[in-house]
Amino acid sequence: MGSEVPLPKWTSKPCIMGIDEAGRGPVLGPMVYACLYCASSYQKPLTSLEFADSKTLKEEKREELFENLKANDSIGWAVDVLDPRELSAKMLKKDKINLNEISHDSAIGLIERVLKMGVLLTEVYIDTVGDAGKYEIKLSKIFPAVKFVVAKKADSLYPVVSGASIVAKVTRDQALREWVLDETAENMHRNFGSGYPGDPQTKSWLKDHKHSVFGFPTLVRFSWGTCNPYFKDSVEVLWESDKMDEDGSGSSRGKRQLKLSNVGFTTSKKKSEEIESSGKGRCRFFEARKLEQVTHF
Amino acid sequence: METGIQGIIDLREGAKSDVADLTGQVHQLPSSIKFDGPSSVSQYFKPKPAGIETEGLMVEEAYFRGRKLQGTTVSLPEGYCGFVLGKKSNGKRISSDMSEENSNCWKVNATFENIMYWNHDSLPSQNDAFLRSLHWLTVAKALHNPVTAEDLSSTSIALKRLD
Repeated sequence: MGSEVPLPKWTSKPCIMGIDEAGRGPVLGPMVYACLYCASSYQKPLTSLEFADSKTLKEEKREELFENLKANDSIGWAVDVLDPRELSAKMLKKDKINLNEISHDSAIGLIERVLKMGVLLTEVYIDTVGDAGKYEIKLSKIFPAVKFVVAKKADSLYPVVSGASIVAKVTRDQALREWVLDETAENMHRNFGSGYPGDPQTKSWLKDHKHSVFGFPTLVRFSWGTCNPYFKDSVEVLWESDKMDEDGSGSSRGKRQLKLSNVGFTTSKKKSEEIESSGKGRCRFFEARKLEQVTHF
Repeated sequence: METGIQGIIDLREGAKSDVADLTGQVHQLPSSIKFDGPSSVSQYFKPKPAGIETEGLMVEEAYFRGRKLQGTTVSLPEGYCGFVLGKKSNGKRISSDMSEENSNCWKVNATFENIMYWNHDSLPSQNDAFLRSLHWLTVAKALHNPVTAEDLSSTSIALKRLD
């Protein structure tokens, strides 16, 4: 999603772009990356548009500013909406991808998309995710023709980033408002709250939608530490991919999770043998196909 | 090694029409769920076609506990049927001192003709142990089929050719 073609003439002149995110902290709903770009020569008028860090603005004001910038021919924008299912899945992969990496990839994707459209990007301002210096080097390597300014609080320092933060925040709020729950259980409601772990409304939504076997609806980011206390008394689930944590080669986070779920559970069998049959000790044909003989089930 | 284990699996009820048919509802997950009992699977577990075909397998996607699963539906081979078994609660026991817990008597609670099996993080493949385990059925058939006179003569002809 973003501003539409045909490309305005000013995009062939040197342009600046800001990138910012919304919904990185919440335990539920999508995370949104947004970019906003304009000609370098438009920087002065941009400061007069009252863009500020989206967090300091009231919701109605943000929505009004978003409508204004959508109607402004001198500004272009684009968003990347990261589904909570995708976030959880990536962070819980066998080879876990952390949130910083996911964030970097999303920002890189936006820059690629805007460059591909034919916009002459010369300077990109971006809020830091992780170490600012390393992030800047990573970006400059991929896009050598672009000058990057990676800074803390970029969303309040540079109007072009403030604008991006408004696009991101309004898009995230709208996506959550219109979210269609995948699950069809009874008594589900949509009072998600902000999605921030400390929000009482979010807390009570999580409590109302906890399921002992399935955990939560897929709107929830299962990989968030906030979820762990809710899983404490739910059914234990062992994964093949957690096996590595047992051996000590996995991440420390995974290990902690596994320990938590181990409380009050003893067995003589190895974890891996409970997850799947092995066919160990049998002829190769059976071992390769994990076929073991069973006398009790 | 345990020896002399006795058990009875009563499949007669599987032929009855009132036994539940779970075709399309049996899932094999790449995890161990420490729970036995009914759960609202169809309300929470929502497989969707992924729009990908690999090695002749139609790929589907689903999510469970935040993990992305990729799987495919496998029809059981011709001549085979899947059974969901349950401990037999009434009827004859092997011996009177055996409690229901320890009894090894089973009856058919449901039948099925296909299984959806799921991988965590990898596309289904003909090399997956689950699909390969079905090879045993072909091998078993060859091993247990009676050898006919024709089989013997064709083998001896083949051996002669090798000489």
